Amino acid sequence: MSDNLQVLLLDDEPIVGRRLKPALAKIGCEVEVFEDPEAALARMAQKEFDVVVTDIRMDQIDGMQVLEFVRDRWPRSKVIMITGYAMMSLAREAMEKGAFDFIAKPFKPDDLRRVIAKAAKALGSSLDFEAVEMEKANG
Amino acid sequence: MVDSPGKGNGANSSEMEQNSYEEVEAQGRLGLARDSEQARKALLSRPRFSLRLQIFLGNALAFAIAIAIAIALVASFHRVEGKVRFLEIVNDYVMEVEQARRFEKNFFLYGTNLSDAQDNVFSAETILNRNGEELAAILGPGWRAQMLPNLHRYQQLLEKLTPQEQTGRALGKNERGLLQNQVRIQGQQMVSAALALLSKEKAALAEVLDRSRQLMLYSVGLLLLCMALSAYLLGSRMLGSINRFGQYAHRIASGDFTPITPTRRYSDEFTQLALAINSMIQELENREAVLVQSHKMRAVGTLTAGVAHELNNPMNNITLTAHMLQEDYANLDDDERMEMIGDVVGEAERAKKIISNLLDFARESGSQLEPLDLPELLKETIALAGNQIKLSGIKIDFQASGNLPRVHGDSQQLRQVFLNLILNAIDASSKGGHIQVLVLPADEPNYLAVKVMDEGAGIPAHILPSIFDPFFTTKGKGKGTGLGLSVSQGIVAKHGGRIMVSSQEKEGTTFTVVLPVTTIPAELGHQKQV
Repeated sequence: MSDNLQVLLLDDEPIVGRRLKPALAKIGCEVEVFEDPEAALARMAQKEFDVVVTDIRMDQIDGMQVLEFVRDRWPRSKVIMITGYAMMSLAREAMEKGAFDFIAKPFKPDDLRRVIAKAAKALGSSLDFEAVEMEKANG
Repeated sequence: MVDSPGKGNGANSSEMEQNSYEEVEAQGRLGLARDSEQARKALLSRPRFSLRLQIFLGNALAFAIAIAIAIALVASFHRVEGKVRFLEIVNDYVMEVEQARRFEKNFFLYGTNLSDAQDNVFSAETILNRNGEELAAILGPGWRAQMLPNLHRYQQLLEKLTPQEQTGRALGKNERGLLQNQVRIQGQQMVSAALALLSKEKAALAEVLDRSRQLMLYSVGLLLLCMALSAYLLGSRMLGSINRFGQYAHRIASGDFTPITPTRRYSDEFTQLALAINSMIQELENREAVLVQSHKMRAVGTLTAGVAHELNNPMNNITLTAHMLQEDYANLDDDERMEMIGDVVGEAERAKKIISNLLDFARESGSQLEPLDLPELLKETIALAGNQIKLSGIKIDFQASGNLPRVHGDSQQLRQVFLNLILNAIDASSKGGHIQVLVLPADEPNYLAVKVMDEGAGIPAHILPSIFDPFFTTKGKGKGTGLGLSVSQGIVAKHGGRIMVSSQEKEGTTFTVVLPVTTIPAELGHQKQV
């Protein structure tokens, strides 16, 4: 189990977690999904995740605060920001603050898989992302 | 998640609304043109009494009076002239007669000059005969009977006195004395009659002169009075009209675009001005409608960023779901597939609502007055700005007093006013700031107040008086037109309300919109007409 990439997914849209959890599981990620930033932060205080995927804009605590928290608590973790079109400047700001990458809504599951695969590579582990791609190409 | 605001009534009802709005719009435009047309007809249907005619009549009257005065004066001079001429004749006559009497005296004293006396009498008669016309003019056709018999008798008496050397007849002493007496009496009578006539005519002349002087004084007085009256009537008519048009200008400047209707019984040059102003009002109203609409589109532009961002969420949900459905189709059971399809349908509906709310607001529409629930209207407006508020990371707090009466107004336009105030408050606030929106009874009775309060930097006191001026803006170049508050003020003024602002630097700004509540709609409708 510990071979799997530990991913925390934080987005206040429930459908995002519902669809991405199985999508990422297929490439060998172990995903914990959160809609509430408070709960996510509480969980991250306890556990180190390899990759944290967070929406930038949420009601109480925004993605920037999550990024700062992760950077302070788990410097090794890679943080991927989900942004909207209108927030490119915010995305750049996030990159400057140490985010690993960002991905703009609306995105396809593969878009996120690719970014996570890149993060996994940066962390020194590998994902069977290609396998999923191959399967789709054949199917 | 802010759900798409207010009107989740589904497609059909929203289409119906759209239709009714368009009808209303057409009615609004027609109503405006009809008002103007009615005013035009009313203005032109009155009998015409132009300023030009009044000036002409005034001058014609003065001219007629002047002519009458001139004629009276000429006639009067003519009469005076006749009298003077008569006096001259009588005077000459008296002189001749007196001369004759002097010679008569000489004759009685010294026996000389009798023929001279007779010559003078003859001259006197010649004078009378020569000037018969003039004498007839004064004394009437019977003048001869009045003047000549005396003279003829005197003449006969003088003849009787002629010395006997010439007549061949001697007079006795007694006879001569008698004759002498008769001549004297006759002479005296003749002279005193002539003198009496002279003094009578002198008095008559003085009277004529006096009357002529009075006539002159009175008629010049009358002329002056007429001219003064004419000037007064003309002046008060023109000044009255100018004052009225000044009031119209003020009224129009304050945003009341009701056409000018007749206030007097006749039409004149100012009627043309009123017609020109009415067409100007219509043009202004059209332009204001364009201005309001273009400003609304600006607000729509601002909101679009928020909407586009908000759309990303359902779009993203649909994309992810569709892709996963495609990827895992074979491995999913029916329930799972149905759940995913249900998600796609639901998210598509959500996207539609996000857009339709903005489109509802963006649609051009005519003015339609109706009783409005102000708190409800503000909730919708806040929902409209919801994405923008969320995007800016600002908290908005809405409170309304319970059981508020309705206000009479145009929901689209008032929504535009409140949206403008809320967007301004968002601009003024920094991230994490609070905006408070309150609906409550105003301080004065029968008015409601809407307060939009931010905790921004505030507006410096020295520019506070200018913020409602058109084109005044503190925002950076390309960020604001400076028309928002000006347009809002116009809309609120049309609703019989007003916007006020109070600001404390570093503490925030409060905009207060005060609107009259609906009392009796018919009455308000009438008021709008005035």
